Amino acid sequence: MKKILLTSTLCASILFAGTDVLPVEKRTFAQSKFIPDISLIMDMSYVNRSVKDHEAESLEVPGVAHGLLGSHTHGSNTHATYNANNGFNLNYAELVLSSSVDPFFTMDGVFHFSENGVEIEELFFTTTALGYGLRVKGGKFNSNFGYLNEQHHHYWDFNDMPLVYESFLGMHGINEKGVQAQWTAPTDTYLMLGVEALQGENEQMFGNGEIDLTKINAAASPAEAEAADAPSLFIAYAKSSVDVGDTTILGGLSYAQGKSRIDHTDDATNKHAFSADSKIYGADLVIKHYFDSYSSLKWQSEWMMRDMDGTQYANNAGGAFVSVSLTKKQAGLYSQLVYAYDKNWKVGARYDSIYQNDVKANGVDKNMPTDMDKYSAMLEYSTSEFARFRLQYNRNNALYKEVAGKDVQQNIDTIIFQVNISIGAHGAHSF
Amino acid sequence: MNKFLILLLLPLTLLAHLNIAVSYPYIGAITKSIGAEHINTVVLAKGNWDPHFVVPRPSLISKMRNADALIMNGGQLEIGWLPPLINRAGNPRTVVGASTFLNLSHHIEMIHKPSQVDRSGGDVHPDGNPHFHLDPKNIIVLAQSIRDFLISIDIEHRDIYEKNYDKFESDWKEKMSIWQKKMADKKGMKVIQFHNNLAYFNKAYGLVNVGTIEPLPGIPPSSRHIIKTIKLINEQKPCCILHDVYHSTKTAEYIKDKTGIKIILMPHDIGALESIEDLSSLFEYLTSAIK
Repeated sequence: MKKILLTSTLCASILFAGTDVLPVEKRTFAQSKFIPDISLIMDMSYVNRSVKDHEAESLEVPGVAHGLLGSHTHGSNTHATYNANNGFNLNYAELVLSSSVDPFFTMDGVFHFSENGVEIEELFFTTTALGYGLRVKGGKFNSNFGYLNEQHHHYWDFNDMPLVYESFLGMHGINEKGVQAQWTAPTDTYLMLGVEALQGENEQMFGNGEIDLTKINAAASPAEAEAADAPSLFIAYAKSSVDVGDTTILGGLSYAQGKSRIDHTDDATNKHAFSADSKIYGADLVIKHYFDSYSSLKWQSEWMMRDMDGTQYANNAGGAFVSVSLTKKQAGLYSQLVYAYDKNWKVGARYDSIYQNDVKANGVDKNMPTDMDKYSAMLEYSTSEFARFRLQYNRNNALYKEVAGKDVQQNIDTIIFQVNISIGAHGAHSF
Repeated sequence: MNKFLILLLLPLTLLAHLNIAVSYPYIGAITKSIGAEHINTVVLAKGNWDPHFVVPRPSLISKMRNADALIMNGGQLEIGWLPPLINRAGNPRTVVGASTFLNLSHHIEMIHKPSQVDRSGGDVHPDGNPHFHLDPKNIIVLAQSIRDFLISIDIEHRDIYEKNYDKFESDWKEKMSIWQKKMADKKGMKVIQFHNNLAYFNKAYGLVNVGTIEPLPGIPPSSRHIIKTIKLINEQKPCCILHDVYHSTKTAEYIKDKTGIKIILMPHDIGALESIEDLSSLFEYLTSAIK
């Protein structure tokens, strides 16, 4: 019986395969015309760094951040920064899907595949029918705080994030679940105001979960750092732009306010946790001059200052649990100049700095270093809009190594050769 | 409160012209001819730049946000810059599919639709060559579509739009016959271009495009292709290089040095050259350029 069934199915399928396949437009219920715009972006790099990988992983920007280079394992999951290792790096494959949903919404999804897994980098709907210059976005998305934060890595002019962004906010910037409302004013001059309410789960700066302090010390009191009400991150910004001949000037002011719950209780050594109220003030300015359709000079700068006020929990040298009132007032900026010679060639330089680093424990200044800077230069060649090859050199003076209890400044040289290729639909980028 | 608002807004609505955003200057000119004093046209792109590469400057978002309607060329010519403006403006009157949105390419029979769409062929336009406004016959078709569009969104002024169109059509046809006469002896003439953006102009007047300086659409000239082009010029003896205004003429100059071929700058839109102030002067120039 089984055999008969099998043969008849086989015959049927052969017969079916033999008939002409109907063209798409004649298949009555075919929906292939509704396939969303799809694109796939790959990013690979070859890295040559003056420090060994395992050394790079342990470096820190004292009082600000650690783990800016290399890969790190937290419990069961590993995550790596872009260009983490010497030699070849497969940074990511990014799958982008977008389409209108109905007359009222569009939807966009950005899926970030890396060797450590898949992340939903962005998944959001946007209204198209509200009118009055209003637009509401909901889902997970890159915040429009500042200038660079909203842009994806493949659109950046350098391979790595500016120092101040990466130190304050981590390599994904402010990438959160929540809602965003933006309003464009009915004026001749561009003016946009926006607000966002976000969950507040940024790995580097924001968080609202409860932290079990007994993991630092069994005798910890209090036993936990209390959870904050979520959503806990609120952002507001204003952006405006004017054109002067063939020069466009775009400026913005941004403000973010949230809760910090930074949990390092699972670290192998120096277990600690930090619970605070945190704010970031940001200002950005982009001036771009066009020589013709293909050649331009772009000067892009952003300044950020953060203010954190809270309590740090850790063990002291004697192994006793202590909670210290800790405040951080830190500020940094980057400024970059990129010259596009034509459609193929671009050259650029960037200066990064964290110039303020006031960390006070119980009111006592911890004398954290402030001379942290980084210099970068890049040259890129694009065969088309879909393929870009970029050579970048970084001199990073912002990372410190702990030697015998003292922070010692490192000067790290890195050469990165990056390849960024995309296929499929090509989404146009905003300014 | 509501009454107060109405009182406040009433004078505005009485004075209101339709604010029509258009992607390129030529669309603005046709629209203005038909809409005349009942509309304002807001042109987004500049006429002297590559129509494929318009910078989506934030100031254009404001223009889109305040527009009552949007007319675009279509055929994917605006794909690289218009979508983010539409997305950011938050204006339901300028979104694709709105009754106040007009895609002109849907009203035109496009030529050179590729039988195979693949990026290995460069920046191909899957729907065909989108530079259709350079055939003067198409200007009439476009003007008709714009007339119907204006009537559909502002039925009140139907008679005026129809009258203006009729005047536009008869004036244009008169000019077309002059241009036709001027170009009559150019029929069959071979030409070279940088990018095939004069395809419709060439078709209208029987010029034969034998090659382009760029090896593939959107791909900058390579030395190998330049050598090929020089060889082609020596074999085919085209009269001239018809060059757009926005690409550098450096490569064309080199080819001229090697072959002695003439370079003729061909404006593609209003404002492409300083002397091109309206649609008639654009075609006047184009039909006089080849000597």
